[in-house]
Amino acid sequence: MMDAADRDLFAAAVRRATEAHTGTALDAALDEVGWHDALGAEPRVAVSLSFECQGACNATSSALGSVVRAGLGVGPRSAEGPAVVLPALGRWDPPGTLAERLSIRGLGMAALPMAEHIVVPVRGGAGDLVVPVPRGRLTLAHVQGLDPALGLVTVEVDGAHVGSGGVLATGTWAAAVDLARLAVGHELVGAAGAMLELARVHALEREQFGRPIAAFQAVRHRLADTLVAIEGARALLDAAWDDGSSDTAAMAKAMAGRAARVAARHCQQVLAGIGFTTEHPLHRYVRRVLVLDELFGSARALTRVVGNALVVGGPLPAPVPL
Amino acid sequence: MDLVEFRTGLDEWLAGHRTELAPTHRGAGTLDEQVAQLAKVKRLTFDADWMRWGWPRLVGGLGGSTLLRAYLGEALTAADLVEPGIYSMTEVLAPTMIDYAAPELAAVMVPRLLRGDETWCQGFSEPGTGSNLATLSCRAVRDDDGWRVNGQKVWTSLAQYATRCVLLVRSGTADSAHRGITALFVDMDTPGITVRPIGTMHGVPEFAEVFFDDVAVPAGRMLGEEGQGWSVAMDLLPFERSTALWHRGAHLQHRLRQLLVTASAGTLDPMQLGETVQMLAALRARSRATQYRMAAGERLGAETSVDKVLLATAEQALFDLAEGALSDAILLGDDPDDARWRSEFLYSRAATIYGGTAEIQRNIIARRLLGLPDHR
Repeated sequence: MMDAADRDLFAAAVRRATEAHTGTALDAALDEVGWHDALGAEPRVAVSLSFECQGACNATSSALGSVVRAGLGVGPRSAEGPAVVLPALGRWDPPGTLAERLSIRGLGMAALPMAEHIVVPVRGGAGDLVVPVPRGRLTLAHVQGLDPALGLVTVEVDGAHVGSGGVLATGTWAAAVDLARLAVGHELVGAAGAMLELARVHALEREQFGRPIAAFQAVRHRLADTLVAIEGARALLDAAWDDGSSDTAAMAKAMAGRAARVAARHCQQVLAGIGFTTEHPLHRYVRRVLVLDELFGSARALTRVVGNALVVGGPLPAPVPL
Repeated sequence: MDLVEFRTGLDEWLAGHRTELAPTHRGAGTLDEQVAQLAKVKRLTFDADWMRWGWPRLVGGLGGSTLLRAYLGEALTAADLVEPGIYSMTEVLAPTMIDYAAPELAAVMVPRLLRGDETWCQGFSEPGTGSNLATLSCRAVRDDDGWRVNGQKVWTSLAQYATRCVLLVRSGTADSAHRGITALFVDMDTPGITVRPIGTMHGVPEFAEVFFDDVAVPAGRMLGEEGQGWSVAMDLLPFERSTALWHRGAHLQHRLRQLLVTASAGTLDPMQLGETVQMLAALRARSRATQYRMAAGERLGAETSVDKVLLATAEQALFDLAEGALSDAILLGDDPDDARWRSEFLYSRAATIYGGTAEIQRNIIARRLLGLPDHR
């Protein structure tokens, strides 16, 4: 266990790494500060910290793949481990399906095409598997789309014959999804916080009618609402780590997605013209959060899941105990 | 006594004393019934010691974490044994007495509040002083034995039942703003006090106007020092947004459960329902963190305005959902359960008004948490 001093040092190291690097350089830098070890030993510290930083810095990495791998229990704990294929946009079931042959519809982080080994979580008739798939069998395509800097890769396979994979215990995929949702939730909250800070600084500096626009209540209230949304989501993420429930993790991811959209809308409005230009960094965050919201279930989709389960008589998610 | 032990013991005790504790009325009951029920539940829980945990020994408590108080209120609220708004007034008034009254006064008075022997009220707002508390004008002048008070308060919850009042008065010059305010602890049976309950939209006359006509208050009834009333008020307000708010959140969670049981198939919109569930979960998570900060002895401040905005938003979302799903009951029903949904739906409209409006909370967040000066 890390004590408070270790944790502070680790936090500072992760922050420095994330501020200085992005992409594969960030993967290496995180490995160097011991992030992959921390992910195994103290997932809460490792995940909440690095993903908030990643969101705040608009950085990219393969960390989400590492998180899913950790959730699945597929080693080793380093950036050198196999790359994991993630579910397709808006989905949270395993990207692979196995009937007689293997089909894959999924996403990879930017480094996936360079990885030596690639594994695919697969849902088969007899249960879930993790199947190693040679890179040559996969149809990979770099995505530009709304957020080219994120460097996502689409991964597809239609009906390949593959060797046998490792069988996953029941519930393992669900645990990986919980962990991934918390990770993306923290990244969304980090990005939302960065947008709020950009808008806050602008509101203090930008003068109109002889005073900073921060003095106008219409501006102040937009930023206050943004902070409320962020703090609500952050509290629910913390509660999800505390209670370890899948329901809470899913709700936290939904609240984080919604908070990021609230932040994008209000901060873009406060930043006004400059926030619409590529000279200002806001647009990178707006792009990023719209894509992140769709990973492992969007705010909208996860909200509908909660509502649909209840209207057919399902139980309410258990409230986090005091 | 730790939280787990308390929780287990209390849950068991509540189950074993269900009949004694249960209200005699159906639905929400009249305000008289609610106040009587509250006094009964406070007495039973105090005599069985549950109500004494989490309060200092000086005032009749048994010590222990404030989390115990948070759980007690949650359990009583979730079992529909108390109306959370009037229950939680204790959470606001008792800490004020503990922090600011002379120790011997607190030692005599606070147990009466905790045990439900007395009801107290809080005289802050005035007709000309809503959001801008620093402009209050209810006047207190020193005389030989203490103070003479003249003026008017409004929105004073439960004043018609109250034995005592924590009262903010203008002791300085008319333009002394927050510097010239003093807090007094006033006996409500003092000659010169007139209480007039106010009819409200939700049918519960819980607020009153209180008139002070040359009311004598002894010097020993000052809370804090002369001119310290603003600090008393500022220290009290975060309590409204901590334990009291936790209780309210638990109540909303309870009403959501009842809504799911009551609503007919097809009347609840899944998206709206899912969003309400999530908002209540976020409120609970945030308020839970606040309970732990308070239990750790942290001084609560402006950040509790975030909790209040989350509460008001979630409360209105829940009752908007209820109004859609239970429109027959809320619009046309006269059964006590229908009347309760109607009353609570209407009361939820005030969630963005009482205890500092939604606008005031956002101003506090902007100024104090985001560092945006307002250039007034």
